[in-house]
Amino acid sequence: MIDIYTEKTGLKDWIIKNDLFFNLNTSNEEMSDYEIALIKQVDDAILTSDKHIETKYGLGTIRNLSSGCKTLLNIVKHPEKVVCVEECGPNVLKVIFAMDKIKIYMSRPSLVDIPDDAIIRFNDTDVVTGSTGYNTWWSKEYERREANDL
Amino acid sequence: MIYNKIAFQADPFSYDLVFDDRITLVGGDSGTGKTVLYDMLEDLKQTEEYSAIKLFNYKSEDVFERLKQCRNNFIVIDNADILIDDEIRRFINFEFSNQYMLFLRNCDGLNVSDRSFKVMKFERNMITLEEEL
Repeated sequence: MIDIYTEKTGLKDWIIKNDLFFNLNTSNEEMSDYEIALIKQVDDAILTSDKHIETKYGLGTIRNLSSGCKTLLNIVKHPEKVVCVEECGPNVLKVIFAMDKIKIYMSRPSLVDIPDDAIIRFNDTDVVTGSTGYNTWWSKEYERREANDL
Repeated sequence: MIYNKIAFQADPFSYDLVFDDRITLVGGDSGTGKTVLYDMLEDLKQTEEYSAIKLFNYKSEDVFERLKQCRNNFIVIDNADILIDDEIRRFINFEFSNQYMLFLRNCDGLNVSDRSFKVMKFERNMITLEEEL
């Protein structure tokens, strides 16, 4: 199940500034073969064992990955935290919505490919399935926001 | 418009960025080089030709306070989805002396046109802004 939170509350453990959290924390953790493959898939970057990267833009360190790629790695490495995905492009969101047992924050809907069997829970309450459930939930949410002048 | 075009060489790449609206939103996939461009602009703004460029990202302090001092500037905001709030959106809409390039996906509350939406295109080391479909 993917937990989506649409409003920030004080009760959760959040990552909003993904670049900052990654640069200070996640980048210092060991990267598995799976995570190295994600880096290749999203940024087309090759990660070396000493945390350098090679991309079409040149050589750098793991801290030169894109914000979207850093967000994805924050989610994978810290599934207990609620991670803001609002800076992620469609290529990253597609990977995120194919995952399970993660928690993400988005305050508005994004155009994204969602597998038909993906189970999504909004704000710890409403459980929906696939892109149809996702889009229906957001339609109702916008009706609610409009009714409440939000 | 402050700049209709920003063009520069950064070997092995050439940037040729054309702007069609006062507000440009750069979106598209992650990993297409938006932050690489932002880093290049940090150098470029030191030149006389591009001295109107002002840069903001998640490391910037007092973003709104500094932003509202800007007049006749080309303002670039990286990480804009987490940086800009309703107050900043209002400033962007109504401070017409500035031009804006925002690395942003959420256009809610911004006075944008069809020509505002761009993605970065990388082809044979030439980097341009193309209309987002």
